[in-house]
Amino acid sequence: MRLTALIPVVFLGLSAGALAANLTISQKGRTFSSETATLKKGGTLTFMNDDSIPHNIMSTSAGNEFNLGSQPPGASTDVTFKEAGDVLVICAIHPRMKMTVKVTE
Amino acid sequence: MPEPPFGRPALLGTAVAATALGLLGFAGTGLGSAIVGETRHLGVEQKAAAGIDAMKTQYRRPASIPFPKENPYTPLKMELGKKLYFDTRISVSSAQSCASCHSPAFGWADGLAVGVGNGMAKLGRHSPTIVNAAWGAIFMWDGRLADLEEQALGPITSPGEMNMPIEQLMGRLEAIAEYKPLFAAAFPGEKMSPKTLAQAIATYERTVVSQRAPFDDWIDGNEKAISEEAKRGFALFNAKAQCSSCHEGWNFTNDGFQDVGLPSDDIGRGQFMPGVIKMQHAFKTPGLREITRRSPYMHDGSLATLEQVVEHYDKGGVDRPSRSDLMKPLGLTPQEKSDLVTFLKTLTSDLNPTSMPVLPR
Repeated sequence: MRLTALIPVVFLGLSAGALAANLTISQKGRTFSSETATLKKGGTLTFMNDDSIPHNIMSTSAGNEFNLGSQPPGASTDVTFKEAGDVLVICAIHPRMKMTVKVTE
Repeated sequence: MPEPPFGRPALLGTAVAATALGLLGFAGTGLGSAIVGETRHLGVEQKAAAGIDAMKTQYRRPASIPFPKENPYTPLKMELGKKLYFDTRISVSSAQSCASCHSPAFGWADGLAVGVGNGMAKLGRHSPTIVNAAWGAIFMWDGRLADLEEQALGPITSPGEMNMPIEQLMGRLEAIAEYKPLFAAAFPGEKMSPKTLAQAIATYERTVVSQRAPFDDWIDGNEKAISEEAKRGFALFNAKAQCSSCHEGWNFTNDGFQDVGLPSDDIGRGQFMPGVIKMQHAFKTPGLREITRRSPYMHDGSLATLEQVVEHYDKGGVDRPSRSDLMKPLGLTPQEKSDLVTFLKTLTSDLNPTSMPVLPR
């Protein structure tokens, strides 16, 4: 049920930015599907590993720290951002994977 | 030295500790952190291995060297950088240059298990090659330096390596009369400074590119450029042996950090990401160009031959929480191991000799 709701909003190509209530960020080809995403405080992003290898998505941005640990191919995890501000999201394993989540009030 | 790239280990540790306890997918509720929901496993079907022609398209050499817009290429800057790279006077002892550990005679490394620093003291890690550094995303085995300009100054000022305080170095270079006009020509309107010193060395380093190897001729269509054994090794590299999960693209690295299960106490990237389990004992994936010229191998120089390297990956290394999930016994046959080694040897070029610069006095 939840899965079918998420799949249509997966970004298939690299998008410069995204603004929506409930987005899925894909990781195919060691690349986040969007360089930026904007959501309201309390909003949720879904990080879906549709790549062929594990990723380790995380952030150390103040107030919105999280670490998904090793996320195997096929895994999908929601992250809800509690504080307003810019959040740098990275893959700890792959240094080219970076995106900014803009969390608004 | 710059600040470590991740400055909030204590806060991060909360979320990571939960992961360590097998609670990945926990509903995080800690104050001052994002909330992590349940992890769903979608059962995404991985595509079957691509055919060999499709694999080959991933390995074509780039047409040009990328230079950053903040430090564009000029011939004068490159020539100055080459002199500085080979100048032993940039170390406090006046006995070591960049080329001491990153020598063109050894595939731009030093042929030793671990580097040798100030006072001939052994360092903790293998000297990495600088070949194809222009394409690097992050620098040093543990990724502590962000770009090649930072990297250029790192070993110079490191007490264990060249041990040269940067102000002392600038004073020494300014006292060498013939350096002043070279800096002035390479950096019009700028004073000699650590910044211009780093930019010159980095510009030279970016021009150190692996030359065409038999593998490149094969990629470009010459079927006779490499042996049938090597072609089988290439297919294994991309499929059964999974090497290309990390050693991907024409330079054979995605610059990622992995614990490949070597029995060493060195935590590598973990020093800068203390709460992240998979970064403990993780080191940057090295490129594989000019590979046969720069044995021994691995971040600690612990494996003497390519055969030993393939054997290590076949066994899977030390099984510990930080070990990459990609590391597991591969079940390679003796013939497959031999084919892999034969393939790896096709990545070495007939390197042209590098001319030594005449240094300013």
